[in-house]
Amino acid sequence: MTTYATRPVGGLETVNRAGSLAPTSKGTLIRKLLTTTDHKLIGQMYLVTSFAWFLFAGILALFIRAELTRPGLQFMSVEQYNQVFTMHGTIMLLMFATPLFVGFANVIMPLQIGAADVAFPRMNMLSYWLYFFGSIMATAGFLAPGGAASFGWTAYAPLSSSQYSPGIGSDLWIVGLAVGGLGTILGGVNFITTIFTMRAPGMTMFRMSIFTWNVLLTSILILLAFPPLAAALLALESDRLFGSNIFDPANGGALLWQHIFWFFGHPEVYILALPFFGIASEILPVFSRKPIFGYKGLIAATIAIAALSVAVWAHHMFATGQVLLGFFSFMTFLIGVPTGVKFFNWIGTMWRGSITLETPMLWTIGFLITFLLGGLTGIILASPPLDFAVSASYFVVAHFHYVLFGTVVFTMFAGFYFWWPKFTGRMLNERLGKIHFWTLFIGFHLTFLIQHWLGIKGFPRRYADYLATDGFTLMNMVSTVGAALLALSMIPFAINIWISRKAPLVGVDDPWGYGASLEWATSSPPPRHNFHSMPQIRSERPAFDLHYPHIQTEKMGH
Amino acid sequence: MKFGWQLFAFLTAFYTIVDIVYWQLGGEIVGITAMGLSAGLSLIIAFYFWFTQKRIGDNLPEDRLDGEIADGAGELGFFSPYSWWPLAVGFTSTLTALGLIIGWWLFLIGVGTLVVSIMGFVLEYERPEYQNEH
Repeated sequence: MTTYATRPVGGLETVNRAGSLAPTSKGTLIRKLLTTTDHKLIGQMYLVTSFAWFLFAGILALFIRAELTRPGLQFMSVEQYNQVFTMHGTIMLLMFATPLFVGFANVIMPLQIGAADVAFPRMNMLSYWLYFFGSIMATAGFLAPGGAASFGWTAYAPLSSSQYSPGIGSDLWIVGLAVGGLGTILGGVNFITTIFTMRAPGMTMFRMSIFTWNVLLTSILILLAFPPLAAALLALESDRLFGSNIFDPANGGALLWQHIFWFFGHPEVYILALPFFGIASEILPVFSRKPIFGYKGLIAATIAIAALSVAVWAHHMFATGQVLLGFFSFMTFLIGVPTGVKFFNWIGTMWRGSITLETPMLWTIGFLITFLLGGLTGIILASPPLDFAVSASYFVVAHFHYVLFGTVVFTMFAGFYFWWPKFTGRMLNERLGKIHFWTLFIGFHLTFLIQHWLGIKGFPRRYADYLATDGFTLMNMVSTVGAALLALSMIPFAINIWISRKAPLVGVDDPWGYGASLEWATSSPPPRHNFHSMPQIRSERPAFDLHYPHIQTEKMGH
Repeated sequence: MKFGWQLFAFLTAFYTIVDIVYWQLGGEIVGITAMGLSAGLSLIIAFYFWFTQKRIGDNLPEDRLDGEIADGAGELGFFSPYSWWPLAVGFTSTLTALGLIIGWWLFLIGVGTLVVSIMGFVLEYERPEYQNEH
């Protein structure tokens, strides 16, 4: 059903025509990686690159934990410590989690709407290269004289000025993020266009999978949030290079930076959360053997989160004392409501279902537990008097790790185990997956649960050192042991990938047996332009309807 | 398409209302501007969707509840099989950005190569041998 032009040259065409992702030689492979326009391969490049950054920033996190284990400076100077936590935050948010969303969306979303590719295949590849080069540039500061950026991932003015943060590492950070941010904006445009114009016949907006819906609203948030970031970064660089005074504290520049940065920064949190909520919403129905509970309610909740998320930014700035406390506190409590609706729907999906605990489901339940705790501390922090007490302490560190790690990392692994047969045609090992889950789950909670109490006792974030008389030593040691366990949990995953490369091919469209959305109605892995044939689409579960024609979901009122 | 302009029109209205509330409660100027611009951006997209729907109608196969796969038969569009130009544009954009920091000589090299690669990217399928294909 798909027609596409062929170039008047040989070689790659035969590979594409056969629908095989296996190249014939190393040279072909490299050329394919450099020039591909296939959304699945680009998505996998995104996934691999962002996972590599996850490992790199994870090692930086281990440096932080190692330094904090005992009082005194162990092996880093204060300046090096600043660089390490700055780059840990920057990489985790902007070079791991955001591109990870782009990766999952690229591989899965066109399959779920029955499209042959994304709307702009070459721009898709351009997004990847901007991300690739931009992220290397921002991190290259480690090799520069004076080291990497050390002003925290928030780059507050005037700390980030050329006076307080001299050195090329800071410039590389600013400009690198601007380049990478441009790639993210182009990716968002691409996804919105694809979802609105390339759906298969019968795939109405309200038959799209929840993951696709969340990709759409995340992309809208990208359009709202990343241009202010790019503008702020370029203005900051202009301050540093050309001596303009945009963020000069004498003109109120310090607060100007915080406002613009958090106008990006808070939607960014939802850019990281929504697509991963989408992954959870895909996995729960499959392993509960039920359709998603409250499909339209979930979509309404996602739209509400997307709308409200641009009106809550200054809750990151309560401690400045110069923002409307009541307005932002109210808005922040309000955005907790649709998030609660989502939880209600997820639990409603599992309620009285025939739950089986395969690895994707296990990871998703791990996400529910972890993110719930992060959400609850979020309610605490939304109240200004409570926020004043624990702001900039380890309580906040624990809160956002529960939110972000709970969402991004748990559902990332859920998505990996769930869609691995769709990516590669082979299943990952279940037993190793469960070992992986339990070591990571225990390691994570051991690391971060205790940091709530550490913060309440007054341990401030971003400090490289503390005194033995402060009484933080024991709790810090527990946290470091947890971090080590967390790091070790990557070993079963690595072994799993290694042994699964020769696992038997699944050979069927839907190896899990109860897949709902359209990606389970094509081969694993799918052909170059995704579908040789497509089922009729009459509900939000076209693949399920195809495989179980006697159960008509549409008649059940969905 | 119909839902497209409705969604963005809703966002426009919502941001406008929140912006007015924020302004009336005594919010500062950065937030008022940023939310106003967000409303403006949503309005542009809403208008484009509305305009496109007027142009092509709202009875597209993908918006019909009884749409059949066969309704979408025919040419879907043009998909580039592979391209070197994204790599070229990405690399020269990075050179240009790096030139801001390193020095004007690199910036000028970056801008020059960036213009050439953008031309290559945009005009890749405008050459005569592709003209009969799309």
